[in-house]
Amino acid sequence: MGRENNSSSIMRLHALMLFGLACLPATAHHSGNMFDRERTVELTGTVKEFQWANPHIWIQVLVPDTEGLLEEWSIEGGVPNRLFRAGWRPTSFKPGDEVTILANPMRDGAKAGAFVGARLTDGSTLGRFSS
Amino acid sequence: MQRIRIVAVFMTLICTVLLPVLLFSRIATAQSPLSIEHLPDWSGVWQMIGPTVFDRATVAPPDGRAGQHGVREYPPYNVEWEGKYVANIELIRQDRFPDTISTCGTFPGFPRTMNLPGAMEFVVRPEQIWILTEDGPSITRIYTDGRNHPPPDEIWPTYSGESVGQWEGDTLVFKTIGIKGAGDTILDRTGLVLSEEAQITTRLRRADESTMEARMIIEDPEALTGPWSIDKQYERLPAGSRMFDVACAENNRNPVDESGRTLTLDAEGNILDMNY
Repeated sequence: MGRENNSSSIMRLHALMLFGLACLPATAHHSGNMFDRERTVELTGTVKEFQWANPHIWIQVLVPDTEGLLEEWSIEGGVPNRLFRAGWRPTSFKPGDEVTILANPMRDGAKAGAFVGARLTDGSTLGRFSS
Repeated sequence: MQRIRIVAVFMTLICTVLLPVLLFSRIATAQSPLSIEHLPDWSGVWQMIGPTVFDRATVAPPDGRAGQHGVREYPPYNVEWEGKYVANIELIRQDRFPDTISTCGTFPGFPRTMNLPGAMEFVVRPEQIWILTEDGPSITRIYTDGRNHPPPDEIWPTYSGESVGQWEGDTLVFKTIGIKGAGDTILDRTGLVLSEEAQITTRLRRADESTMEARMIIEDPEALTGPWSIDKQYERLPAGSRMFDVACAENNRNPVDESGRTLTLDAEGNILDMNY
């Protein structure tokens, strides 16, 4: 909880049951136990980089903290093959996109998380998004 | 005398022509692969139905997912191998049991090949069947040209093992031996393992237009007290679906450290979760 409060006001907790089945565990090449599945944070910021690569996609997003300083978050998602079949594309996120991302944060408070869902610039959503 | 000569000629014909032809045809019937027009159509891209719990019939809790703390199955392990499994489960609870494929350098291994989340193809040819998986990626070759498994001194443990099979109607029946066991492979992320002595007999058939079925009977005199039966189903993805690379080393930001902990790196390669 402290981490959410310290990081910024744009992060909120969400109920576990809404997002308990994020896409990472079923597709990952590693255990997802470093992520806290009982918590979900909401990050609103600007995409810095979208890594559409194996074994996981990564979204680097710049999120302002309470002081307005930008923090870089690393959001890990599933495998490109399965995401593609679910409608994702290598261009789903582009640098400069304003996005809101839901993620299960890392247990130790590091600025990273497992992707749950996102609302994109045009209002469309990916994954399980319910703000 | 004339009659003896006729009989001699007849016997010579039988011995030199007819008998070899008959013998050869019997051998050929036993060893020749089926021609392509007699083989089933398993074309398309397929994907396992359901989560990657290997033995869904015994998983506890029933909705447990492989990799979650405390989830387990109940294979007919003997006491020693039940102990190994319990130890793996405990390491998973401590997040110190990395998936063997997390190193991004090896195949998942058979029979985990039949328990993967990514897509797969079944390429049916008269002399071989190939199971191609995105994950790994891996190839399992099943020889159907009448050969037997190699002799013991020509087999060593490999990820794919040695598979030889034959057709029973539209069902491919193949036996796999020579697999890599515990330490090199797992069956799923609950920590299930087999020994290198395992023998897996798989019956694979297309149940209907959109479904493949596999039944595996696993025998492992070192690890199991009896046969272990596993059923899997696979659905055909929409026509035109493609297979993709799952080249794990492409951008692996989750290396495993010496303690077995799976790390998470930032975009520059720095360890993010120093305190976990």
